[in-house]
Amino acid sequence: MTEIPKRFSIKTTDRKTLSRWFHLLVLGRALDNRAPNYLKQAIGWSYHAPYAGHDGIQLAIGQVFDRSTDHLFPYYRDMLTCLSAGLTAEEIILNGLSKDTDIASGGRHMSNHFAKPEWNIHNVSSCTGNHAQHATGVGRAMKKYRHKGVAICSQGESSVSEGYVYEAINGASNEQLPVVFVIQDNGYGISVPKADQTANRKVANNFRGFKNLRIIHCNGKDVFDSMNALAEAKEWVLKNQKPCIVQANCVRIHSHSNSDRHELYRDDYELNYVSEYDPVGKFRRLLLRYKRFTEDELKAIEEKVKKEVLESHKKAMAAPDPDPASIRNFILPEPYQAAAYPEGTHVHDGPKKKLIEALNETLKAEFRHNPDTYLWGQDIAHKEKGGIFNVSKGMQQEFGRERVFNAPIAEDFIMGTANGMSRFDKKIRIVVEGAEFADYFWPAMEQLVGSTHDYWRSKGQFSPNITVRLASGGYIGGGLYHSQTIEGALSTLPGIRIVYPSFADDAAGLLRTSIRSEGLTLFMEPKALYNAPVAATPVPDDFEVPFGKARIRLSGNDLSVITYGNTTHMCIEAARKLSEESEYSIEVVDIRSLVPLDREAVIRSVKKTGKALVVHEDKVFSGFGAELAAIITDAAFEFLDGPVRRVGSTFTPVGFNRILEKAILPDTEKILSAMKALLDY
Amino acid sequence: MKKIGLIYSFNTNKTSQAAKKIAKEIGDQNISHVNAENITEKEFLKFDLIMLGVPTWFDGELPNYWDEFVPALEDMDLKGKTCAVFGNGDQKGYPENFVDGIGIMADLLESRGAKLAGFTSVEGYQFEGSKAVRGDQFTGLALDFENQGKEINSRIKNWVKQLRQELGI
Repeated sequence: MTEIPKRFSIKTTDRKTLSRWFHLLVLGRALDNRAPNYLKQAIGWSYHAPYAGHDGIQLAIGQVFDRSTDHLFPYYRDMLTCLSAGLTAEEIILNGLSKDTDIASGGRHMSNHFAKPEWNIHNVSSCTGNHAQHATGVGRAMKKYRHKGVAICSQGESSVSEGYVYEAINGASNEQLPVVFVIQDNGYGISVPKADQTANRKVANNFRGFKNLRIIHCNGKDVFDSMNALAEAKEWVLKNQKPCIVQANCVRIHSHSNSDRHELYRDDYELNYVSEYDPVGKFRRLLLRYKRFTEDELKAIEEKVKKEVLESHKKAMAAPDPDPASIRNFILPEPYQAAAYPEGTHVHDGPKKKLIEALNETLKAEFRHNPDTYLWGQDIAHKEKGGIFNVSKGMQQEFGRERVFNAPIAEDFIMGTANGMSRFDKKIRIVVEGAEFADYFWPAMEQLVGSTHDYWRSKGQFSPNITVRLASGGYIGGGLYHSQTIEGALSTLPGIRIVYPSFADDAAGLLRTSIRSEGLTLFMEPKALYNAPVAATPVPDDFEVPFGKARIRLSGNDLSVITYGNTTHMCIEAARKLSEESEYSIEVVDIRSLVPLDREAVIRSVKKTGKALVVHEDKVFSGFGAELAAIITDAAFEFLDGPVRRVGSTFTPVGFNRILEKAILPDTEKILSAMKALLDY
Repeated sequence: MKKIGLIYSFNTNKTSQAAKKIAKEIGDQNISHVNAENITEKEFLKFDLIMLGVPTWFDGELPNYWDEFVPALEDMDLKGKTCAVFGNGDQKGYPENFVDGIGIMADLLESRGAKLAGFTSVEGYQFEGSKAVRGDQFTGLALDFENQGKEINSRIKNWVKQLRQELGI
């Protein structure tokens, strides 16, 4: 019961619509009931979250969704939502059986995660409510492009225990975005009752203090109440261009999923109580009671559903399974081809520019080049300030608040809404300053990790086209939250490129390539070099550096030093000192790009010199150098005249006191010493 | 005396208990027990004085059997009818919507022209919100078997006494 206009009722809704709804309700339930049988027979559907008891609200979500204008973010229990939105029974079963022709992911994502990216029914993570930020991001794009549509985000009530859901709704409220958040409340997060999650049983009321936000409560078990609530929510959102939460009270008739046993924590009274309110039974009784259909007419629809399910089952069973040879497909989309500078080098002889100038000028040039570029982050644009280090200075003045704007201090939200905005149109390119300092980026990790999955998980149907800029590294006396670098941990994630320039020209060239490319790129900026004269270089206006192209910064014959970022300059200095002191010549290989890696350049150099020293600022233990050392040992073992040695920081955080920082981080002296030891080996 | 229609679900436990106590208090001979599970418009309109047992389900909803009768009620002319609503709630477990069912039903009956009787004081209850509250009264008799079981009998007794006075039964 809600105090909203009654557009739909058992007495007034036309028979054709009622018939269609009954068909969907029966079809959905037939599939939901059938799913466990596939698992019992070891055929598939090994993850199944039954939706029975959510029938009213799920039918309504699908019915109000308009694929020509809207975006839908279903969660893992949204089988009927997706059927009601237009997916066929065969498409549902293909997902359940993880077939190659599954339209959500080709068997890559978990079963029961239904999607149809082609219709903007998005393939999302399994983290509860994670896609709320994507919905807010799409809402932002809709507003910027003056698109008439809504983003509908569907989630369980336990999602309001997640901080990122608050960030998403706060953002939609603050930016006044056309998003309908539907909270399907069945009273449990797996076995955890609502009382253990939040104080409000009506969890949507947790958001009562948010401005620009309407909250509607409805009976998610009742088709008409759910339809009225959703229709009102969508109309209100479209008209007011503000978000709305619809909390639908549902029951969970079965366990959370096939791996849960609800009889361990629900008594017979409760199980009986919830099954009493079976929404399909209720709808059927209403159709008969108010003489809208006869028993025979309903039975005819039920018979039709049986045949439909059987035919769909046969087709899905005959569909191909995924090819194991395809696992490396769709990790990352093809990058922009840096055709003008295929090796990422140049002979330009102009005036030297600082690294920070190169970044600023490249950002501006790319924003002039492509009107569908956006930049946001913490501290990014407030009058004369353009980021904590002023890298984006002047951008808001030139490109306006629509394209360059501050983000709240919420790193996860910065990443999550970038992902969401990417979903609106693949022409959009987003640059985010992921955090004030790389050290503060960890709260964004679940969104970053999810974004690394997207392209692969959707079998190439969606790629978040985002460049994540992070001011990284030490040598500024910043300590644990201003002086660490984080690429070692992040290089374990397939689905993200990682670049780490050391010089102004490479910074400009890699940034241009990143912004022009599809896919996710982590752009690490060694902040100690922003204004360092040693990093300043001439920079061609149109410079581009392809991903995965190392650059030989110093040529030599006796030792290969493989490095990137801040330590490139230390390695060059140490190499020069050594050359002055001895007959040795050292080759310094600046890999520039960690992922993808220029393996050939590294191996070629090591084969030439016979000795390899890997140097980086990050920790030696489990740092990216461990991967480099393993690659060298594996591919060039017979060419080595000594062990592959590594120099980096200690396996500690970076201390704030300069004395501690110096003891922890690598420097020219430590590198020189390691070079000598290895040459003497 | 014309018979009073006492309508509640025969499938219930607590609501049935309360209904039987109410019937006994009024005098069984004056009561027609009607099962709300299969109530019809015709049956409902047979009575001029109707007592309805309406517990609150979930977070403030009518039970399905009443909810399914709502479309019929919405089109009824209840002018000349007098209705008194009683219902169970759980003021500790569901303090945000204690006995909402009473309020939803009372409002609906009143909107169709029925006269409501048997409002009771909210004194002695502790809850945060209820659709059954008007001023300092409930729009019917609120019973709480879970938390105030010992007061069920006295509340019913007092309520029937009040109805006798209000309605002259």
